[in-house]
Amino acid sequence: MSWTPTGLNLSFLTLIGWALFLGVLTGRAELMVVAVPLVVALAAGRRAKAPTAAWQISRQVSADRLVEGERVSVTVTLRATEPLALVELLQPLPPQVWPGRGRNHAFFSLRPGEEVRWTFELAYAGRQRLRLADLHLRLWEPLGLAAAETRHHEAHSEVAVYPHVAPLRRPPRPLRTQTFVGNHVSPAQGEGLEPGDVRPFAPGDQVRHVNWRATLRLGALHVTRHHQERNADVVLLLDTLADVGPAGASTIDRAVRGAASLAAAYLARRDRVGLIEYGGILRQVRPGAGRAQWERLLDTLARASVVFTYVTRDLEMIPPRVLPPQALVLALSPLLDGRFVRAAANLAARGFDLILIAVSPVAAGRALVRGGPVADVAARLWALEHRAYLDDLRRDGLTVVDWDGVEPLEAALARWQRPRLRRAHA
Amino acid sequence: MTLRLAAVALMAILAGLPLSILPSLGALAALALVVGGAGAIAASVPLATAGGALALIEYALALVVAAPDPDPVTGTAVGVGLVLLLASVHFASLTRGAAVGYPVIRSQARHWLSIVALGVVGAAVFTLGGEALALALRGAGLPLVVAASAVGALMTVAGAIALVTAPRRDA
Repeated sequence: MSWTPTGLNLSFLTLIGWALFLGVLTGRAELMVVAVPLVVALAAGRRAKAPTAAWQISRQVSADRLVEGERVSVTVTLRATEPLALVELLQPLPPQVWPGRGRNHAFFSLRPGEEVRWTFELAYAGRQRLRLADLHLRLWEPLGLAAAETRHHEAHSEVAVYPHVAPLRRPPRPLRTQTFVGNHVSPAQGEGLEPGDVRPFAPGDQVRHVNWRATLRLGALHVTRHHQERNADVVLLLDTLADVGPAGASTIDRAVRGAASLAAAYLARRDRVGLIEYGGILRQVRPGAGRAQWERLLDTLARASVVFTYVTRDLEMIPPRVLPPQALVLALSPLLDGRFVRAAANLAARGFDLILIAVSPVAAGRALVRGGPVADVAARLWALEHRAYLDDLRRDGLTVVDWDGVEPLEAALARWQRPRLRRAHA
Repeated sequence: MTLRLAAVALMAILAGLPLSILPSLGALAALALVVGGAGAIAASVPLATAGGALALIEYALALVVAAPDPDPVTGTAVGVGLVLLLASVHFASLTRGAAVGYPVIRSQARHWLSIVALGVVGAAVFTLGGEALALALRGAGLPLVVAASAVGALMTVAGAIALVTAPRRDA
């Protein structure tokens, strides 16, 4: 560490020069005297003791995982072993992060052995992986004529901000189920609670399945079959080709919140949930269940963002272990990029059970422009156009759920209910 | 904000001091106050420097036109005022938007006052040295004295520049 002269030296030199110049020009001794305190100050600043790393500093973050809306507090502890006349601490903040309470920039003056704790809270626009940069520490000569700067690196400097999860009591029911026990009533019949068909008794049938009412009416033993209760594979297909809206309330942010809510609901039903981020980078999470899978999904969702590309990604290239043929595919998209719509239509045409949740870009886009009659009319026209587009997609055979991203996803899904299936599928 | 208001007050004193010698310099005083005050409010060191330079020009004009008896005390006060003006405006620009506790203000004020005290002592020594030199040079030709003072001024400026730009022997 070494002192670096600051721009203030130039100001002192300017005034010294003026005072001496005017003194010689006018022949007045007072003007020479004016220069003396300035020269003395300059010399005193120059003779400041060489800076040494005479401190211990540490930075602690209150949490490494958060949910949108929660705040994180950062505590910096600085202990001086030698007197520090003026210390400047600055915590640079990444974009979309700002100080919530307190300031991320502070000045201290410490005596030997003195310790200060500096705490401030951070607020942020929405889900993200928040990386705190190195802490900047600058020592100042008391008059500000010289400064010495260094950085403090802390190993644990990342905070994952996960999307907010809204409870979903009735997520869309999958058409097809898997082989493991779960909470979905399977069209296939076997052991279960939900009554299915009634058929004549066959050797091997259990007595407790005999339907006595049908037996008495038909004069022969009949048994009630039951629908199996099975789990399902659910794949969330997230469109990150385009984004509209302010940070924290953009269409991708809203879609991510919806995806997290759906994932939580299906994982709670013991289903396997996977994720495909369809954008400039095709990120994939294989379907899985359990707590670890939930954290994998949240980590991927927290990172979801637009990466611009001209390339159209082909979902046929995705291996079946990531996109199982029997899976329920829930596609969340603002429908702003035709490539995603074509990919979704392609999946539906290939026989995937696909539900397209259209996150309306109108409300998010409206938040970006100032109010006014022209903006209102434009927003209404855009909403009409969006609705007409959704109707076109429905006519093309796609299952579309319209969601404005503001109301609870549960309410949007409640308006659309899949008819209950009774026919047995293989 | 308090620091900036203090800097404005300091600028007002610096611009107002020459008016006690020559009240007709009101326009120049107002200009110095506007420029320096703007620098103090905006915490801009270059503007404050410009304001300080204008106040110096105003002071020099007042001394030339009114030709009062030599007064090293006022000169020292102007010099100290300029040091405090630059230091306070620079500190205000540094701490803009930052958390600054009272201990920091106290510590800074203590340091500034010690430097000001050193400056006052330096000015007193300079004045006494000047008096002694005046006795020694009594009867010398005016061109010689002016040339000597010009060389002295040049050497002072050169020395100050060398002081700022010379590499330090730091740890």
